[in-house]
Amino acid sequence: MSGHQDAETREGWFGAKFSRKEDHRLITGRGKYIADMDAPGMLHLVFKRSDRAHAKILSVDTSLAKALPGVVAVLCGEDIKDKITPMPVNVVLPNMPAKFPQHWPIAVGKVRFHGDALAIVVARDKYIAQDAADLIEVEYEDLPYVGDPEKALEPDSPIVHEGWDDNLIFEMTFTGGQTKEEQDANDAEVQKVFDSAEVVVKERFRCHRCGVTPMETRGALCTWDESDGLLAYVTTQRPHIDRLALSDILEIPAEKVQVVAPRDQGGGFGVKAPFYREPIIVAYMAKELGRPVRWIESRQEHLMAVSQERDQIHDLEVAAKKDGTLLAMRNRGIGDCGDGCEGVYWGFLMPFLGAVEMPNGYNWPIGDVKIKVAITNKSALSPARAFGEFPTRFATERAIDMVAKACGMEPADVRRKNIVPTLPHTSITGEYMDSGDFQGCFENLMDQVDLESFRKEQAAARAEGRYLGIGFGIGVELSGVASELLVPMENQPGYGAATVRIDPRAKVQVYEGDAPGGQGHETTVAQVVAYAFGIHPNDITVQTGDTRTTPFGSGTIGARSGSYFVSAAFNACKELKLKIATVMAHDLELGDVNPEDFDFLDGEVIYRNTPNARKTFREMVERIIMAPINLPQGVSGGLEQTSFFEADKPMICFNADCAKVEVDTNTGEWKILSWTTSEDVGRIINPQIVDGQMHGAIVQGLSNACFEQFVYDENGQQLTADFETYKLATAADVPDITVTHKPTICPHTPLGSRGIGEGRPSAIPGTLSNAIVDALSPFDVEINELPLRPNMIWRKIQEGRAKQAAE
Amino acid sequence: MSTQKVSITINGEVFEEDVPIRMLLVDFIRDKAGFTGTHIGCTYEGVCGACTVQMDDEAVKSCLLLAVQADGHSVTTVEGLAKNGKLSNLQKSFNEHHALQCGYCTPGILMNMSEFIAKHPNPSDEEIRHALIGNLCRCTGYVHIVDAVRAAARQAAE
Repeated sequence: MSGHQDAETREGWFGAKFSRKEDHRLITGRGKYIADMDAPGMLHLVFKRSDRAHAKILSVDTSLAKALPGVVAVLCGEDIKDKITPMPVNVVLPNMPAKFPQHWPIAVGKVRFHGDALAIVVARDKYIAQDAADLIEVEYEDLPYVGDPEKALEPDSPIVHEGWDDNLIFEMTFTGGQTKEEQDANDAEVQKVFDSAEVVVKERFRCHRCGVTPMETRGALCTWDESDGLLAYVTTQRPHIDRLALSDILEIPAEKVQVVAPRDQGGGFGVKAPFYREPIIVAYMAKELGRPVRWIESRQEHLMAVSQERDQIHDLEVAAKKDGTLLAMRNRGIGDCGDGCEGVYWGFLMPFLGAVEMPNGYNWPIGDVKIKVAITNKSALSPARAFGEFPTRFATERAIDMVAKACGMEPADVRRKNIVPTLPHTSITGEYMDSGDFQGCFENLMDQVDLESFRKEQAAARAEGRYLGIGFGIGVELSGVASELLVPMENQPGYGAATVRIDPRAKVQVYEGDAPGGQGHETTVAQVVAYAFGIHPNDITVQTGDTRTTPFGSGTIGARSGSYFVSAAFNACKELKLKIATVMAHDLELGDVNPEDFDFLDGEVIYRNTPNARKTFREMVERIIMAPINLPQGVSGGLEQTSFFEADKPMICFNADCAKVEVDTNTGEWKILSWTTSEDVGRIINPQIVDGQMHGAIVQGLSNACFEQFVYDENGQQLTADFETYKLATAADVPDITVTHKPTICPHTPLGSRGIGEGRPSAIPGTLSNAIVDALSPFDVEINELPLRPNMIWRKIQEGRAKQAAE
Repeated sequence: MSTQKVSITINGEVFEEDVPIRMLLVDFIRDKAGFTGTHIGCTYEGVCGACTVQMDDEAVKSCLLLAVQADGHSVTTVEGLAKNGKLSNLQKSFNEHHALQCGYCTPGILMNMSEFIAKHPNPSDEEIRHALIGNLCRCTGYVHIVDAVRAAARQAAE
């Protein structure tokens, strides 16, 4: 009997609202985040960061800083360059044809962006450390600022990385085949389609630099012991990878490196997924000084050094029939990588995956998709939820509406016509979509929003001079990242791993090598394990993120938890249940019975065919762990199992969004009247946690699309390094959200669950832009850039009016 | 570095310390008194609200005050919300409505909203949303926070 049939026929904790186990400590102020940890004799490390975008470092004068009482050490790049192995090291290097810039944890020779770390201070007090950093004097020789990714790729551009011939870090063709000949033949076919198409739309779409900065910044606390080695607490989504990288770079044998992601992390959203430079030097200093060293990133340095994503330009063309049938897409994308000095991602993996996901859940017969990624003097792109695809989906969803306009059709009908009808499906860029019912999920959305009534309401409002609009978007999102994709992309395995240990009191401990930051893993996996064993979620505790006790895992990324991690935990439970059943059959002399025919319900283990053959879960556990005598042949005592889960193929989840807006044409301001979604998240483990993930992702998407923007001036000065200037959405800025579900069971996971949440913001900018464009259809405007600021909307209204007046 | 002696009552306990005049109240609360439930999320600019505490029953941002300004005052932090181990209705409501994910902003929101509910017994959703503008949350999209505050306010009004 397979797992999900099991789930269908039995009640339990699976699918139930269960208030989170994490919450009590967090609502009473007893959470333990990195900044709440200390160690006896701990020192404070502060970075001195560059105030230039691109400059040679002529000299660094640390004498005043060193003289300040309380300062223990001051180092600049020259002090460490012969002592620390530079990046790249293999473990954080993608298996991709790209160039990887050499770099050290602090700048050596020159700085490459405003905010680049160039020296460190270690002091007994954090105030003194900051004072000392301010006393470091740096003499620079300015170099030309490379800030425009298109100009950066021109032959006469100044070069950012020494020894490179140009600023191109990565380029790729995603369509047509593996060889140049196949791709050229494909491109020629695409050209033919465009030559004969009834409808062609073409636009340049620009997504600004923004990201999903978490409320907690980064940090590290490292201690060194000659015999035990390095213990590094790091804010990270992937502690096991960090351990390997720290071992390689600092040349400390791996058995002497332990990395622990704090149990409580104040959000990650991708930002804490890379292997960053800063923890390297914190660990190095702890080892050098033989004392605990802690670095807590300030918000200012966070907004200068990380959390910047989405910076892409796409020239997209779409060919279609007059009836709205899509025929082909052709795209030329450019990513603005920043300096690219960032382990695992190198700034270009986001534009890469964004291009892979560009076709979305639409059926494109053929396409020609290419991107280039340019190095510039900005902070390296670091991942953010809706990894790389926020800009490409904005372009695709806008283009669908442009096709609808050209065909004189409802945008919803163009979607109906082109949404992939049957699964599995492999997109023109090679993205495999395993299962689901995209059209059913979209129809569920249409049932919620009543388009016909809205059109009447819209017409009536226009008669009164009010401008209402409706917009749609869809999203096919990763449900975990299969090894098939993760090994080439990030040089890491995709499987999920979990250790399930039953203790002698029949309580269960689960060990997870990944490192959550608020997603509720402690509760979700407790519900799965409780369901498997027929016990209460409160009998289960979960430990995450400690490389010394947890099984290897590639990290909390790409919605791996609801797909891969819980599946591994469930499979471990299944193994343990078989063992318990085998011993019970032996003890009760049930003869030659199938150990799968035992139910674990309400604290009891019951032989299904002889219901009076029952034992309590606890007595079976005690018997196997504490009294391992007279066991069946070949069965040992003890109850602990580590399992790994990998699906045969990559898996996805699906969503569809509808926004209704009203635009004030006098000011360009607009208001979201409603936001409604339809979700296929597979079999739901905890509905409240699922809805919370959706709310958060959607508001992150809105905040990115409307407010947040990293701004660099013409000299590469970053002007938005605090929350006054880098504005996040507040509660008053965003609407209530109506989330509805149309789930299909994932056939490739033991529970039918899907991983959710990572890609979810990607549908937001297209949906919202489409609604605003629909509201402004009398003015014939198109939106092709983000963020959606009222001044931009107002300008487009004026342009539309002027054009109409001229005609 | 000039210092000053202060006496600050935090969660009913008196802390007498000689502190640098430039020390922020949030650092006093966290580093001197050890109440690490009060968090720092922005660059001491008063925007994120994670450091919100109550001083003499009024919600204030402890990154915008010096410790010396709290001399002689009574401060309540998130650790002081539960009485005798019993969670407040607002705390319980946050758990029941899944109003937190990573929990980093939560202490500040609880300190702000517990004052808000006390002063506004029957708030509309719009009033709750506007009362929350001094607290940034990155995880929840605010939907469940509004639900939790509304439910706790109704309970308090009954």
